[in-house]
Amino acid sequence: MAHYVLRRLALAAFALWGVATLVFLMSRLIPGDIAAVAAGRLATPEQVEQMRVTLGLDRPLVVQYADYLLGAVTGDFGVSAYTHRPIVEEVAEVLPSTVQLVLMGMFITVVVALPLGIWAALREGRGADAAIRILLVLKGGIPVFWLAIVLRWVFGSILGWFPITGENSIGGAPPDVTGFTILDSLLFGSFANLRDSVSHLFLPALALSAPFISTLARNVRSNMLTAMRSDYITFAVSKGVPPGRVVMRHGFRSAFGSTLTIFGLQFGWMISAAVLVETVFALQGIGSLMYKSIVNHDTFAVLGSVMVIGFVFVFTSLVVDLLHMLLDPRVRTAQLARA
Amino acid sequence: MTIDNAPFDRVSFVGVLSRRLFGRGGPVVDRLALVMVGILLVLAVVGPWLAPHDPYAVDPIASLEPPGAAYWLGTDDTGRDVLSRLLAGAPLTILSAVAVVVGSTIIGVFVASVATLAPRWLDDALMRCTEIFLSIPSLVLALGLTAVLRPSLTSIIIAMVMALWPATARITRNILRETMTSAYVEAAKIMGVSRLRLMLRHALPNSLDAIYVHASMELSGTIVMISGLAFLGVGAPPPSADWGSMIAQGQDFITTAWWISLFPGLAITVAALAFGLVGDAIRRINDPTSGRAQ
Amino acid sequence: MTDGAAPLLEVERLSIAVPAGRRIDGASAGDLTLVSDVSYAIRPGERVALVGESGSGKSLTARAILRLDPGLRLSGSIRWDGRELVGAPEPVLRGIRGADIAMIFQDPMTALNPVLTIGEQVAEPLTVRGVPKKEALARAAEMLDWLRVPRAKERLRSYPGEFSGGMRQRVVMAAALIGRPRLLIADEPTTALDVRVQEQVLDLIVEQSSELGLAVLFITHDLSIVAGLAHQVIVMYRGEFVEKRDVDGLFASPRHPYTRGLIGSIPRLTSDPSVRLSTVDEYMARNGGAADE
Repeated sequence: MAHYVLRRLALAAFALWGVATLVFLMSRLIPGDIAAVAAGRLATPEQVEQMRVTLGLDRPLVVQYADYLLGAVTGDFGVSAYTHRPIVEEVAEVLPSTVQLVLMGMFITVVVALPLGIWAALREGRGADAAIRILLVLKGGIPVFWLAIVLRWVFGSILGWFPITGENSIGGAPPDVTGFTILDSLLFGSFANLRDSVSHLFLPALALSAPFISTLARNVRSNMLTAMRSDYITFAVSKGVPPGRVVMRHGFRSAFGSTLTIFGLQFGWMISAAVLVETVFALQGIGSLMYKSIVNHDTFAVLGSVMVIGFVFVFTSLVVDLLHMLLDPRVRTAQLARA
Repeated sequence: MTIDNAPFDRVSFVGVLSRRLFGRGGPVVDRLALVMVGILLVLAVVGPWLAPHDPYAVDPIASLEPPGAAYWLGTDDTGRDVLSRLLAGAPLTILSAVAVVVGSTIIGVFVASVATLAPRWLDDALMRCTEIFLSIPSLVLALGLTAVLRPSLTSIIIAMVMALWPATARITRNILRETMTSAYVEAAKIMGVSRLRLMLRHALPNSLDAIYVHASMELSGTIVMISGLAFLGVGAPPPSADWGSMIAQGQDFITTAWWISLFPGLAITVAALAFGLVGDAIRRINDPTSGRAQ
Repeated sequence: MTDGAAPLLEVERLSIAVPAGRRIDGASAGDLTLVSDVSYAIRPGERVALVGESGSGKSLTARAILRLDPGLRLSGSIRWDGRELVGAPEPVLRGIRGADIAMIFQDPMTALNPVLTIGEQVAEPLTVRGVPKKEALARAAEMLDWLRVPRAKERLRSYPGEFSGGMRQRVVMAAALIGRPRLLIADEPTTALDVRVQEQVLDLIVEQSSELGLAVLFITHDLSIVAGLAHQVIVMYRGEFVEKRDVDGLFASPRHPYTRGLIGSIPRLTSDPSVRLSTVDEYMARNGGAADE
């Protein structure tokens, strides 16, 4: 087992290195003068030259690369051409917001898709299952940003049930301690803060979750069907195990492993979708940061965001894989067989 | 007839597909989807000519007209007919998605073929390389790439091809690996047929089915992603009628003139759905055992 | 075996059918009878072998006792300890499963849930009946020990994937026997194992039966393993019982042509290798038996 963990960690380290390298290559692919881009459009020729030296663009490419890697490890992603602040600072400010949004989206997805998938599997072939399958046919066909706009319009503007912009109303924000408004509300703020934060996050999170609910539910349904057809289910019944436990402890617990893998992929997709949703709802997350940087031609900030997002994704994939290994002994035996 | 120029017995894929979908027993939903795909592809080519009004003509007097007799889907804030713009945007959205899928598939298959034929270290290196690309969510990667290139529809296409080929390469590599180790290929190898020949005449053609399946399913997602990028403004500049840009343009008017953003969104959804269903149907036909539990 | 004792299980004129209308190919039809009109009884400690080829209905007959296939329609009577099981409410059946009657299946590789520990799975018949977890696990360890699974206490936390086929069958048996059932139904428990392991498992079943006074309903297609195992043999063919005898009588003077055919097709060490073994169909045809094709 330790062998597997080490291998997985090594893979993650490699992926991190790979992401940094890829972003480095992208940063050198910029058409035109890199230094001019980095200095920003309003820079004077002297400032551009200064930038050239600062970025080390006069040095050999290999040295530049080494510097870049060092920077990635120490948290120096360069300076924003637009705000002139260290990029890592800007990212750190907004990252919690995105993470919170994505977590909430995943929460909604799980809460809806899991029971739906299990229920559909149990009702296989009967009416309910067919109805669900039709619904589930909307597998990610709906563009997330359009859904966000429509949700905002219907539930925000027309029905007025939810606010349509930002993370908090004026005066509704909790003290900014961790950057996670929900956590801050719970720990340091008031119930009103919590309500305010949640209501602002609900529509964006719903928009994020909707396209994936169908995929996850279908996956759960499929895995459950396979699991429930297994011999160990019959054996469990013959031991007198009640149906509830048969379905959950034997069926679902067994189907869970494969679902977890999809879950990990989902996280990556959601981060992407967050970029779109944040711009629609005017939330201050890394997505908005990326968008603003693009609009302002702040290429290095864009690339810095890309790199951070890559790091986050590698990290979550690692966590999901390790969790999978912990929860599903089959992974371990497969690894042993291979080793 | 020697083994390496024996014809492989593959029934015409399109033939089977049409027969299955149009013959008796094809699920209604799938046939509708196929018809829809047909319509979309036709529109993608002749759309602009069918437009009742000039998609780019500005007419301040007629601005923000709700859907009605004169303008079936209404007009936007500068008086341009939404329906005409939808039709004009069809080629932009759909054909660029097709271009992306074709491009990434070609590159992906090429890389996968090289990896299959290459010595172990090169194979591993290439696959590690694709893994790295896959460590960054594709939209984010494509977005980063468009930031590096100049914003335009072409940039989006290039960026997306670069972001999507690794996934295709990996999947194709797995398929090829399977085919190359199958019994009949082994037999051919024993007879002295070179690996290159094996690849070109046996492995690749027999892997095409699976490649089609993957490509058709990709198409659905690509349409959505391209629109997403266009929505963010990294595509063609404002007067562009591609559906993503249209949604962006109508965003601010959603409460007063909901039709500007609503219809392009519906168009994208319908297109993605249709292509997705057809892709699913192709997958089921190709391998009836997969997704049986679905 | 207690000869004069009242039977534990009494099956009278049991028929099993697929109800009208439920057909995969879409065709609607009347009931499809899979097993017709079978009757038998099992006494305490008695070992009964139910023999037949694939498709004879032997598994279905056994599974019907515990009602493991709820979609099938049962008619007739199955009485356990005097209580009628056909048509009984589900909680009654659930009470009997694992506690009065237990079952083990053909493939030990798939009978155990790969994501749960064997400790949990062996203890399950007890834990679902309210026995506290600690106690149940202790009894599980005892049971595994009794069945000669090495290092039982430690292995409680292992997963099925870590055991070999023969060992897994012992684990399965431990789970079946832990509730102290009075009848064990064994559905082809040796078919998926290699010969050497087969023998071990058969010996184990006979041993447990003798020591614990456990009655066994043993299902198999292999008549050759029945001789050392069973007191009573029932031969089944196409959903019907064709012969029901004590084991010695059956082998000495089989009455039904099908039985004779089955016995005749067992290869023996003493048979002449140049003489072709007769097949059942040939035998039936030659002897004008109940073969109706």
